Amino acid sequence: MPDLHIIAGIRTPFIRMGTDFDALGADDLGRHACTALLLRTGIDPALIDEVIIGCVAQPADAANVARVIALRSGIPAHVPAVTVHRNCASGMEAITTAHQRMTAGQGELFLVGGAESMSSIPLHYPHAANAKFSTLARAKDIGQKITAVADFRPANFKPRVGLTLGLTDPYSGLIMGDTAEILAREFRITREQQDAFAANSHLKAIAAADRLLEEIAAVDLPGNPVTTDNGIRTDSTPGKLAKLRPIFDRQTGTVTAGNSSQITDGAVALLVGSEKAAARLGIEPLGRLTHYAYAGCDPKRMGLGPVHAIARCGRSPDEADLVEINEAFAAQVLAVLAALRDPGKCSLETPPVEIQEDKLNRRGGAIALGHPVGATGARLVLTALHQLRETGGKTALATLCVGGGQGAALWLERS
Amino acid sequence: MNHLHLQINGNHAVLTFDREGSSANLFDRPALVELSEKLDALFAHPELTGLILRSAKPSIFIAGADLKILSSAQGDDLRDLIELGQATFQKLAELPYVTVAAIHGACVGGGYELALACDWRVASDAPATKIGLPETQLGILPAWGGTTRLPRLIGLPKALPLILGGKILSAGAAKAKGLVDAVVPRENLEAHALTYLDRGKRPAPNHLLSNNALSAGIIAAKARKSLLEKTRGLYPGPAAALEVAAHACHGPLADGFQREKEAILRLADLPQTHQLLRLFFLQERAKKHPLVDAEPRGIGACAVIGAGVMGAGIAYWLSTRGHDVILRDLDDDALARGMESIAKNYDEARKRRVFTPTEAARGIDRIHPSATPVPLDRCDLVIEAAVERLDIKQKVFADLSARTRPDTILATNTSALPIHELAGSITHPERLVGLHFFNPVHRMPLVEVVRAAATSDETLATAIAFVRQLGKMPVVVRDSPGFLVNRILMPYLIEAAKLFEHGGDPKTIDDAMLDFGMPMGPLRLLDEVGLDVAAHVARTLAGAFPDRMAVPDLLLKLVAGGHTGRKGKSGFYTYDGSSTEPNPAALALRTGSQPAPENTAAHLAQAMSQEARLCLDEGVAGTADDIDLAMVLGTGYAPFRGGPMQYELTHPT
Repeated sequence: MPDLHIIAGIRTPFIRMGTDFDALGADDLGRHACTALLLRTGIDPALIDEVIIGCVAQPADAANVARVIALRSGIPAHVPAVTVHRNCASGMEAITTAHQRMTAGQGELFLVGGAESMSSIPLHYPHAANAKFSTLARAKDIGQKITAVADFRPANFKPRVGLTLGLTDPYSGLIMGDTAEILAREFRITREQQDAFAANSHLKAIAAADRLLEEIAAVDLPGNPVTTDNGIRTDSTPGKLAKLRPIFDRQTGTVTAGNSSQITDGAVALLVGSEKAAARLGIEPLGRLTHYAYAGCDPKRMGLGPVHAIARCGRSPDEADLVEINEAFAAQVLAVLAALRDPGKCSLETPPVEIQEDKLNRRGGAIALGHPVGATGARLVLTALHQLRETGGKTALATLCVGGGQGAALWLERS
Repeated sequence: MNHLHLQINGNHAVLTFDREGSSANLFDRPALVELSEKLDALFAHPELTGLILRSAKPSIFIAGADLKILSSAQGDDLRDLIELGQATFQKLAELPYVTVAAIHGACVGGGYELALACDWRVASDAPATKIGLPETQLGILPAWGGTTRLPRLIGLPKALPLILGGKILSAGAAKAKGLVDAVVPRENLEAHALTYLDRGKRPAPNHLLSNNALSAGIIAAKARKSLLEKTRGLYPGPAAALEVAAHACHGPLADGFQREKEAILRLADLPQTHQLLRLFFLQERAKKHPLVDAEPRGIGACAVIGAGVMGAGIAYWLSTRGHDVILRDLDDDALARGMESIAKNYDEARKRRVFTPTEAARGIDRIHPSATPVPLDRCDLVIEAAVERLDIKQKVFADLSARTRPDTILATNTSALPIHELAGSITHPERLVGLHFFNPVHRMPLVEVVRAAATSDETLATAIAFVRQLGKMPVVVRDSPGFLVNRILMPYLIEAAKLFEHGGDPKTIDDAMLDFGMPMGPLRLLDEVGLDVAAHVARTLAGAFPDRMAVPDLLLKLVAGGHTGRKGKSGFYTYDGSSTEPNPAALALRTGSQPAPENTAAHLAQAMSQEARLCLDEGVAGTADDIDLAMVLGTGYAPFRGGPMQYELTHPT
């Protein structure tokens, strides 16, 4: 199968929930990323065959958010757009969908990426309230209105938090943090190990601050220029992290807000396509996608998804000059590393492999930068390709665990 | 001639206006006579249930009276024309069956007076549909029954602002004010108009509370006071319309018509009216007159360099007209400030219902700020609005030259720098042109299109067409210091500053010019422009015209003392909230104790007229008319005086 060329890419700053991007929706964020990419490449947007954007919490006020993003970014109306969803791998799903389209002869050039506004995820009324609201809406006179209002009970107004619902796997009933606690217990990963990993993620991001800017296009909001990621903390030391209370298993747990990924708003846009399309644009591609696989696993141990996806790809991580493993939780990444060392723990027969520390998440990960779920997959690809250029490396592996029990693994190469 | 078609469709008649040999429907004497005859024919069909009035033109219902004829008709001719119109429209009103105006396109002045004589008015929701009575803007008043009928339809308090302001409304706004009864999609307009036939003749509207002699007197007194505050008694048109409306809203119709007629006959003779009509014709001409013999190119995507006050203002205006705009500046702080002012403009436009929330959001989407250099080869036009320093502008243009297509038009928004000095920085200098917008861009209708020596006809034609497409008025000027408007304004401002320096009281000086009809006094204007900016422009001009434009010491001292005008809250005046007082620090800098002379206004106006004459002699602008129109649109020069060249004619020194 032909490789998918990743011609250019850019992202917005990744911004902690409820801060600078609080007022923006996923469509706003996606538009900022896509227009910045179009602006910097200077390409004619009419050349794009399809727009494919990943988004997990698809906004109620922008159904098929990819289409909204495309039109708001000045992509001509004749170019179709589709939103894709594979939970935290949605940003990768956008890229691999483009590969499948290309392979099937359904286009040469695609604008792909991911957009997520976790600040905008709504609260929901309980279902029982729906009927009462619609009775109220139908009430014609004041008497009917009073009767309709009187029918409400306090419980009808107790909201269900959309964010919590989205981060919970309904099949197993576990919230994502619980699945990390399971891995921490089963792989005997201590609180200290997790906090040290988390602190290191911040340190790496701080050290890479200038290089991270290469991946970012500033978002000039009215009166507020947003130019850098704002989740990176200089004070996330192991000592300080140790003071945080566990949030999922409050009595005996080890997973805290400090050693988990941050809840974040952001978007990524990538221009991808065939070798021919890249040549026609005259832009030197960042690199190309050579192999990829998705794999399913136990939803309660969704954090091990990368191990299964890597195995399914059939290539040893040894071959990679760089590895990006998404930091959903420190415990989960450490569990993946342990499982790669001892694949038998995942009932796999692949040879054991040790991923060296200096190859892994060199610019920090979601613990420092944040995890806008629909966008992260595309960010891993973007940062891996930038790092290949920085280090002169050739091959990178970007992998990620997926809520509901899946893993994704993408192999990238720099020409 | 055959301007009207009458068709009987079963139980109703349709009267279609389709003026021969014209894209617009206008009322002149033959058209009114023809309408009168058709109405006579309709009286012979009492069996009909109704009459629909419509237009066959794509974007005009009826654009009113033919102003050329109106402005040239005098004495008895004008009297006849007024009487004929009043009698014809009254005939329409007296038809024994239902009459409905199906309005699509411009329905203004006499066109709307015709519609007012119908029982019902149904309008299309198309943007082309514009409704109103703009007569007072031209110094006259609606005199074919409009000043009488509108207050009777919607009540005197609602009618007065519409008649005195002369505002043209969209269909939706017209419906909200009661000017039309329904707004529907164009395709359904005539079918919907037919449904009104079942409603019968319109019952007489009841506005007894406001439209009686006592209430009308009180309402008129209040309106008179606010009109006087606004116009300082300089505009007889609205003042006369006010008196007519206040009396004509009650009592016999014929009495109202009589008052309308007397008023317009009196107004038509006034010099103010002639000047306002002249400016109207000049504007109409400037909207379409081919100023240069070349085919303009279409302009799509644009870029604006510099996100300051002017850059952001231009980017905003371009985006409102559907252009994608790359907004470039050196850093994100400047861009964020620019985006803030753009967002504020959209917000205000949304609040004034110029844009729906969706339209405003899509407008902002069209602006793409970037602090990073980006390719500009998809831009058809780049407008530079960077700081006013030649060396910086030359650098910007060298960079633009490398980044754009060879046919991308490169424009500068400089207000005073010589444009030809930029030609050496770019390849293909024939694409260089000046586009001088005025601040605030979204309010000021004039754009000076500056032709440099290298500018090609095609570039100039494209720039002119582009400015028109933006809804602004272009005036072509030669590439010379200060171009036209700032150059004429500067001696006036300098003279005003000198009168102050010699001991003149600032309020006396400013009031003299307000009474002259300027929208703002000269010292106040200097404060608004910014004393530092004014001094900078004055210095540039002083280089070229040292005898007339020497920068007054006082201005330099004020700037040196940190008094930069309105933006710094202190200049000739101090600004504290809504209160404006003469600045004691400025008063202390005066070197004499000579009060402003009796003839201050004439003295200052002559300063403008003299400079305007020099501009004409040097060929800075093509004609005296161009200069007058540019000064009225660019500075608000008292429109009823016609402009500085007309002032020179009427007030020779």
